[in-house]
Amino acid sequence: MAHRLRTLPPRYWLVLVVVLFLIGLPTVIDSFQSGEWAQALVLAIAIMGLNILVGYSGQLSLGHGAFMALGAYISAILATRYKMDYLVTVPIAGLLTGLIGFLFGVPALRLSALYLALATFALAVVAPSLIKRPAGLTGGVQGIVLLPPVPPQPLSDAYAFLTGTAMTSDQWTYYVTLAWGLVLFWLAWNLLRHRAGRAMRAIRDGEVAAAASGINLAGYKTLAFGISAFYAGIAGSLFGLAAGFVSPDSFPVALSIQLLVGAVVGGLASIPGPLIGGIFAYFLPIESNQWVPTQTWIPVQIATTIEKAGPAVTYGAVLILIMIFAPNGIVGLVGGAYARLRGRVRGAPDRDTGQMPQDTQTV
Amino acid sequence: MAALLELEDVRAGYGPTSVLHGISLEVKDGEIVSLLGANGAGKTTTLRAITGGVRWTGDIRFNGKSLKRMHTEDVVRHGIAHVPEGRGILTELTVEENLKLGSHLRRDGAQVGKDYDRVFEYFPVLKDRRRLSASTLSGGEQQMLALARAFLMKPRLMLLDEPSLGLAPLVVRAIFEIIKTINESDQVAVLLVEQNARLALDMSSKAYVLEVGRLAITGSSAELKGNDAVRRSYLGY
Amino acid sequence: MQEFLQLVVSGLATGGIFASLALALVLIYNAMGLVNFAQGEMAMLATFIAFTLINRGVNYWIALPLTLVIAFGGGIAIQRIVIRPVERAPLLTLVIITLGLATLLNGLAGAIFGYVPRSFPSPFSVQTVDIFGAYASYRDLGVIAVSGVVLLAIYLLLQRTTVGLTMRAAAHHAEASRLLGVRVSWMLALGWGLASAVGAVSGIMVAPIILLEPNMMQTIIIYAFAAAVLGGIESPLGAVIGGFIVGVTVNLAGTYLPFVGGDLQLAVALAIIIGVLILKPNGLLGRPSVRRV
Repeated sequence: MAHRLRTLPPRYWLVLVVVLFLIGLPTVIDSFQSGEWAQALVLAIAIMGLNILVGYSGQLSLGHGAFMALGAYISAILATRYKMDYLVTVPIAGLLTGLIGFLFGVPALRLSALYLALATFALAVVAPSLIKRPAGLTGGVQGIVLLPPVPPQPLSDAYAFLTGTAMTSDQWTYYVTLAWGLVLFWLAWNLLRHRAGRAMRAIRDGEVAAAASGINLAGYKTLAFGISAFYAGIAGSLFGLAAGFVSPDSFPVALSIQLLVGAVVGGLASIPGPLIGGIFAYFLPIESNQWVPTQTWIPVQIATTIEKAGPAVTYGAVLILIMIFAPNGIVGLVGGAYARLRGRVRGAPDRDTGQMPQDTQTV
Repeated sequence: MAALLELEDVRAGYGPTSVLHGISLEVKDGEIVSLLGANGAGKTTTLRAITGGVRWTGDIRFNGKSLKRMHTEDVVRHGIAHVPEGRGILTELTVEENLKLGSHLRRDGAQVGKDYDRVFEYFPVLKDRRRLSASTLSGGEQQMLALARAFLMKPRLMLLDEPSLGLAPLVVRAIFEIIKTINESDQVAVLLVEQNARLALDMSSKAYVLEVGRLAITGSSAELKGNDAVRRSYLGY
Repeated sequence: MQEFLQLVVSGLATGGIFASLALALVLIYNAMGLVNFAQGEMAMLATFIAFTLINRGVNYWIALPLTLVIAFGGGIAIQRIVIRPVERAPLLTLVIITLGLATLLNGLAGAIFGYVPRSFPSPFSVQTVDIFGAYASYRDLGVIAVSGVVLLAIYLLLQRTTVGLTMRAAAHHAEASRLLGVRVSWMLALGWGLASAVGAVSGIMVAPIILLEPNMMQTIIIYAFAAAVLGGIESPLGAVIGGFIVGVTVNLAGTYLPFVGGDLQLAVALAIIIGVLILKPNGLLGRPSVRRV
């Protein structure tokens, strides 16, 4: 056993450290912050879904916020109208959203990447008004208010025994989200390092060539859509849990943009990318809004302007800068630096073609 | 007298593959020079290097001025017309619009009008079809359009990449006739890349033979026609 | 019947607005095979510039061309600074960058001008005039006229001038155009400038109707997408026709289809986009596209 541990590649140690850190996190931050981290993990899950679609099969969806909305409303309606336990509704929301995503993937097959981006963007813009319409079911503009989740007694007791305080609803939400996150990241890793992942990457790098080498284009592309929507559906359902309510305005176009920012920042076509991206996309606007006013060297006018602009300016600037200077995101940067350290440059983008490298998978 | 175009130890390639391993050649004002060689010898790449279509090292001078690091459009503006492989016809546009693109940088309005008259005299078919889309032209007609367009650029040097490719012998003869006419009446120098070596040697005063990116044989066209190796490899008798 | 005619006329007016923005999209699509997701936000920012000028006492008919010139310059600047470094990057990269640009411009406008909707002046009165039994407002007629003039100007520029010819050449065959001395990169910049100016017209025309605020164009761009897709995304004429059809259709659907009403008109645009893409992906006037390996 000791021998096996010693031969474990360093990246597995890294994964272990990250997982332990995430499990221990609520014991060192307060309950409110746990709620924030739960939201960040929700984003990470949705971004993982988007990453599977964009990073691995090369189909750009700008409407994943709409899939999240779908998952959130399925859960909210099942929990309030049919009195189901919310936790039971999470996988149902995921599967139903995944199914609808799969069906959506069929017509999407006929569209070029550009048209798909265009159509999904339109979907994201229209989604809030589509949700408002069946007001009897969705609660219209008000949306649906959800009860805060209560941690199960034995777990709460154990937590109290370990930390000295009872587990709050926010902390419980965090752990539920983390559990889903671990399972879904593990699933994605398994899926993508095997046949399906190779097939999807081949499709991304060139459809005609992929088809010529016998890859079932239609099958994998719709599959990617379905899986991606499944992730978004779970994320949406957990989003409702973390936010305590769902409303049409919880899912604006800006959410879809936020997901894209996270996917791009973390690094497309990588497994750790979405986690980094989720944390980044969630905390960046919050932190920068707190940090900027404390900086006396920034002229007051600029500081207040940045504050008023909210996250949009930062997101926009980050998207542009990352795409120009680091098309493989943070994971690509770190991976590139690591590879250079070890004397072999792999995964660096080809400046001449601007193509993403063939394989930037790092874990 | 210095040559109009000089290549000095030019090396070029695509990405990691290098195609030209040090080519030196020159074309004098008003002269027709042939560049011969088998497929993949680097003829097209040589022409592309001159007009900045591939990266190169060494030196290329036109009219005494180095073309190093110059963009294609600036090279062209110095007076080089390049009819590329595939003729470079803009098939989305009409025949007339293609011709206009040839003359669009010229400021000598009166002369341009006369040159159009000459073009339509050389190639009456272009006049008849000038309102039609260039995509409706046959291969030979497209070659005529490409040549006419190059002529309208009023260049001092034309780079012609296989003008005979895929054309019927009669059409080829007509086209080469006009190349000769343009060369003689306007003192336009021509660097001619050809598969059809006999045709090229008949017309040119000097020739270079490329073999896998290197100059194999150099000499006057008359000499080359008599050269056994050239005869066997390229003339086929 | 009278109501129907009136809806058609006001639909044509909004259609003219969609057409301008759709034409801007087509110009950039033709130049580089890209849908510019920031087109609406660029128009919004230009409208704010016009608003500022007019507020400072500049006459409307001076402010309008001045804004177009500024928008033109801004479009060129954006192409030079943001797009050119990634000109050869994969399409997805470019799309994401235009989205980033949209988000950035939207945030900037919010920071500089705030999110309070402002009324924007229109040089045309809202009084109505009777045409064949339909009452059309001067404003609607004015919008149709302005759109018509813009579209005609663009047509003449592209088809009848040397600059237009070189722009078209650069868009279709970059490599062959370079060999003819065309400065392709600048032609692309010119395309962005032109698109920016044309889009600005749509912003200035729509602002008096829906009030000026940073999110003003968020729905308009969807209608413009629908118009461009319907007309065939590479066809300028198609964009114009598509714009008018979308404008009229949306107006009629809002009134005659009870389940659409006022709040789901945008969903009609979405339905048009999806329907056209699936049933006739090349649109009304587009050419079938060739797939490149």
